[in-house]
Amino acid sequence: MSRGGSGAGGRPRRLPAFALVAVLSWLVGYPLLITLLEALGIPGGGTLQHWAEFVRRPDEWLALWRSLWISLASVVLAAAIGVPLAFIFERTDFPGRRLLGALVALPVALPPLVGVIAFLFLYGESGFVTRGLQALLGLHEAPWRLHGAGAILLVHAYSMYVYFYLFVRAGLARLDASMSEAAQILGAGRGRTFWRVTVPLLGPALGGAALLAFMTSLASFSAPYIFGGGFRVMTTQIVASKLNGQVAMAQVETVTLAVLALAGLWALLRFDRGRIAVVGGVRGLAPARRRLASRWARWGAGAAGWGLALVLLLPHLTLVVISFVPRATWTVELVPPAWDLSNYRELLTTPERLRPVLNSLWMAAAATAAAVALGLATARASLAHRGRLGRLLEMLVAVPWAVPGTVFAISLATAFSVDAPLAGRFVLVGTPWILPLAYLVRSLPLTGRGALAGLRQLDRSLEEAAASLGAGRWRTLVRVTVPMLRPALAAAASLAFITAMGDFVTSIVLYTYDTRPISIEILSSLRLQDTGIAAVYGVLLMVLSAAAFLLWGREERAG
Amino acid sequence: MGTLLSIRELTKSFGGQVVLAGVSLDVEEGEILVLLGPSGSGKTTLLRSIAGFERPDSGDLLLEGEEIADLAPAQRKFGMVFQHFALFPHLSVGRNVSFGLETRGLRSEERDERVREMLALVDLAGFEDRRVDEISGGQQQRVAVARALAPRPRLLLLDEPLSNLDPELRERTRRELKAAIRRVGISAVWVTHEQQEAFDVGDRVAVLSAGRLDQVGPPEELYLRPTSPFVARFVGRASFLPAVWGEASTAVVGDERFIGCGASWPADAAEAVDSGTAVTLLLRPEGLRLVPPESDGSLQGTVAERRYAGEITYYRVVLDVGPEVVVADAVTAATEGGKVGVAPRLGGPKPRAFRDGERPPPQEGLAEVVEEADE
Repeated sequence: MSRGGSGAGGRPRRLPAFALVAVLSWLVGYPLLITLLEALGIPGGGTLQHWAEFVRRPDEWLALWRSLWISLASVVLAAAIGVPLAFIFERTDFPGRRLLGALVALPVALPPLVGVIAFLFLYGESGFVTRGLQALLGLHEAPWRLHGAGAILLVHAYSMYVYFYLFVRAGLARLDASMSEAAQILGAGRGRTFWRVTVPLLGPALGGAALLAFMTSLASFSAPYIFGGGFRVMTTQIVASKLNGQVAMAQVETVTLAVLALAGLWALLRFDRGRIAVVGGVRGLAPARRRLASRWARWGAGAAGWGLALVLLLPHLTLVVISFVPRATWTVELVPPAWDLSNYRELLTTPERLRPVLNSLWMAAAATAAAVALGLATARASLAHRGRLGRLLEMLVAVPWAVPGTVFAISLATAFSVDAPLAGRFVLVGTPWILPLAYLVRSLPLTGRGALAGLRQLDRSLEEAAASLGAGRWRTLVRVTVPMLRPALAAAASLAFITAMGDFVTSIVLYTYDTRPISIEILSSLRLQDTGIAAVYGVLLMVLSAAAFLLWGREERAG
Repeated sequence: MGTLLSIRELTKSFGGQVVLAGVSLDVEEGEILVLLGPSGSGKTTLLRSIAGFERPDSGDLLLEGEEIADLAPAQRKFGMVFQHFALFPHLSVGRNVSFGLETRGLRSEERDERVREMLALVDLAGFEDRRVDEISGGQQQRVAVARALAPRPRLLLLDEPLSNLDPELRERTRRELKAAIRRVGISAVWVTHEQQEAFDVGDRVAVLSAGRLDQVGPPEELYLRPTSPFVARFVGRASFLPAVWGEASTAVVGDERFIGCGASWPADAAEAVDSGTAVTLLLRPEGLRLVPPESDGSLQGTVAERRYAGEITYYRVVLDVGPEVVVADAVTAATEGGKVGVAPRLGGPKPRAFRDGERPPPQEGLAEVVEEADE
């Protein structure tokens, strides 16, 4: 244990680590705990009355059931898109493969709300595809309405296939080519090689992607909120209860969802351990990308790759197109009759339009800066104190990743609407500080894990070399550690920043008019039929996300 | 004993780069044939073509007279031991070994029996239920061998089967592996870049360079009667001297009119040469000896380096006529910096003459050659 911390000299000091545990517990664990206590009515002597009501009400069970089956179905649909896509892009070669291969991973970094409105513009009642079909078939009404479970599943599948795509691609790239060759020479045909060797070896990748998709889907809020209507899942049910003033019921629902999510995290962590054991046994070379022998096969793979990528990227393109359509010019036509930059101009020149952008910018920047500092400190402390203290720190930064945003929003609203400084509670709800705080908590897993990964790769002897040359702890940190970690931190920070910029799920619970972020403004623009403005905000988030994601991707590859 | 596999004029290019330039080679029934060559010589591509993982551009692969070039790997019924073993990490040791038996329509008791038999063959009896990542590298290698042999393949292919093992383990494993192959009585094609390994296990060794077969034969033939300076260099320590082919199987080195600066030595020629032709003379360290300076029929030189290697000591001698040679002799034969004469050793490998134009490869020690060949 002392080896880990001896880099910059001496035994690791425990006091800073305990201080970190205290700060993280206050930020991450305490609001959840208070919510749990209030749901149990603890301050008032304790009661299970709200739980009894929760259990009695059929719509609560319905929401729970819907959350579960929507999540399971999302996993299946996402796999159905992502797995074939991974095979096409990893195992075949066609013109444009590299560029498209990077592009189809983009939805993972896109704020969910942006994806949702992009879908609305494409497949909604007045969307491009819907209008096109209506005109083509000569229908009086739109051929479908984008709402309910179908719409939610569509959006989920569309954004969560990326997990399967990225995981399976990575799995395929790691797969030792001689594995399938060994199966073949032992007499296995293509089918047998695929089912008996390739699929089991991809098992960890498939399982990891499935769990991630499941948890993301469980926490999903934007799609059910925009498309759900009366079809409520747990996240929308919580927000509805809260908006209806049923605070206690919202807390009970929140605790239920949190328990589900933590069970998912537990499963994922267990799974992760198993995976390490399996992958540890694999050595060797990645298989060569198969150059498809027949011209037809190459054209087929190319067409499938381009076709799928186009379908998957179409919503983004739609968003860009809509952002150029001036207000109230597009009514019944198949394609917009007019194009100009008026929406962009309006955003830049109207203070009320620019305000949400500035709000989001400063709040996201402040939250990210704090999250990087806290994440780095936690990562260092957790590596210096292996064993229980280190694990506790690691867990504390990981929890907000697993807990749905809605849960955190309700918990923060519960914890920080009371003035009790001695109990660590302050009135932050309604002030400009609550949203940055929420963003900070939600960003911690990204920066903490990023710093941890960076530090693990860092050659400890570099810090030891600095120490041997007479540098103290602080000088070593500033002159050696941080510069070496900069790429990893920059990548994590950019992802954290864009997550905060695009946040909708916590914002909708905690915003005030003065601190309204971009996502809230997108929603109100949509309500006012200002689709062009909504699209401009969406494009802004999209461009930022793409930049952040590409930076992150470069870092991942370099690391 | 007949021919099992005939390789006829096999060619293969990758993106315009020729990797196999017309290789013809036979694998005899029951022999271990080693493909030896440096990195990029085409030996692995040749093995993978035999296995069916690479499709040759042209040429034939005849298994007992039948063309197999169009067969998928699964249909060739060969066994293969991969460089990194390629054990299936999700299957137990036993399931790995039985993988190739499962398509053979055997009853499960027969399969289990065969698995037991194969694991016993490689000295891993009772390892059926172990995970492949729990066993050592040497044991993994043996599981790979058992797995390849279990379906009773017609030919065993080994792709650098020892390169993934610790050096201290290699020599023992190589003996055990050879013994196992002998016990089963199977023909094997074994790829390596290590001359020691090739000579140790091969009944015959085929030396490849730049996609061509240079020479194939038993180890002693390659060592004593190489057909090219490349082969001579690749299969052992060698020195080369410019010389002129003389009368009655002699080669004249330097100017024999001056004592110590020239000599006429008995020699073999790799191919017929007329007297008076310029040749390059291959000299093995054991084919030379140190004699007192200015002795009759010797070349004068200075010991530049002396390397003690146990039974024998190697002397690097810079000859007065220019080039240097390596001589094996007793530990007391000379000291570093001393003046010596160099003469042929009777009964040792005879100096061997190659017609000029076949330039010898650059002078370097065997160790370096092997390191460079490390893939």
